[in-house]
Amino acid sequence: MAQDTRERQALGRASAAALAVATAVLATVVLPAEYGIDPLGTGRALGLTALAGTGVEEAVPPPTGDRVAPVQAGPFALYPAEYKVDAREFVLGPYEYVEYKYQLEQGATMLFSWRADGDVIHDFHGDPEGQASSTAAQSFDKQPRRQADGHFVAPFAGIHGWYWENPGGETIRVRVAAAGFFTVAHEFHIDRTRRERAVRPLDVISPAGGEETP
Amino acid sequence: MTRRAALVSALMLLAAGAGVVRAHEEFRIIGTLMKHADSRIQVKSRTGKTVSIRLDKQTAISRDKKKVDAAALRAGQSLVVDSYGDTEDDSLAIEIRIVPPIRGGD
Repeated sequence: MAQDTRERQALGRASAAALAVATAVLATVVLPAEYGIDPLGTGRALGLTALAGTGVEEAVPPPTGDRVAPVQAGPFALYPAEYKVDAREFVLGPYEYVEYKYQLEQGATMLFSWRADGDVIHDFHGDPEGQASSTAAQSFDKQPRRQADGHFVAPFAGIHGWYWENPGGETIRVRVAAAGFFTVAHEFHIDRTRRERAVRPLDVISPAGGEETP
Repeated sequence: MTRRAALVSALMLLAAGAGVVRAHEEFRIIGTLMKHADSRIQVKSRTGKTVSIRLDKQTAISRDKKKVDAAALRAGQSLVVDSYGDTEDDSLAIEIRIVPPIRGGD
């Protein structure tokens, strides 16, 4: 009888020890390696969490290319360069006009806002790359406006932008601001001069401070 | 050899023709009518330059958005002229608008 009791106690101790060892192995090795669960930090210390596939994957490189064209994936698109920003003011004397256009690749996007302090004749249009403006230009918006805020996705590679004409005898100012995947701006004046305008990289925009709005 | 010479000549003619087409441009001249005679007007622009512009039967002339005859053009009027040609001077007027006197003009 005493013999049976001792054997039962030994068996109990052995079972308890086996359970303790199994629990320790589960917590320190199996859970981190199999499931990435690491309650004691031993998985990270022993490099076992990598086996669970929970480590940070290697970064995917951005698209590359000379042309700033979108690589579309559904509603999401990536470009091989950062977007640019630009702002201009034009003073239009009586009956004068100006054209201001950005170089955009097919599918490239830009955001814009413009304001005129008087009535202007306006035409938002594009000139396909490599084709004569006088024959190939396509108009996208000619509604009478004094201002516009919008976005534009270029339907073809080329220069895209505005024609503003002062139809009257008073001087008018037109201000335009834009951000987008354009590379350069072109300015066409009434005296037939054409100027290429550099657009600004993003580092001209200072990061905002940590001030909270009340 | 003859064929090659002909091809080169044709290409040269084509290039020359393209140059001529490219040379024609549209101009806007804003200024004061100095003289009108013999289907030709002289306009002094706001920059002080005087240019001579030809008129023809297709030239559209208007005042207050109403079509008027070339006889309505008088020295001293303020004009907005859209013309076409190789250069501003001696270009052909497509449209002439007689506008109210331009402030700050000459």
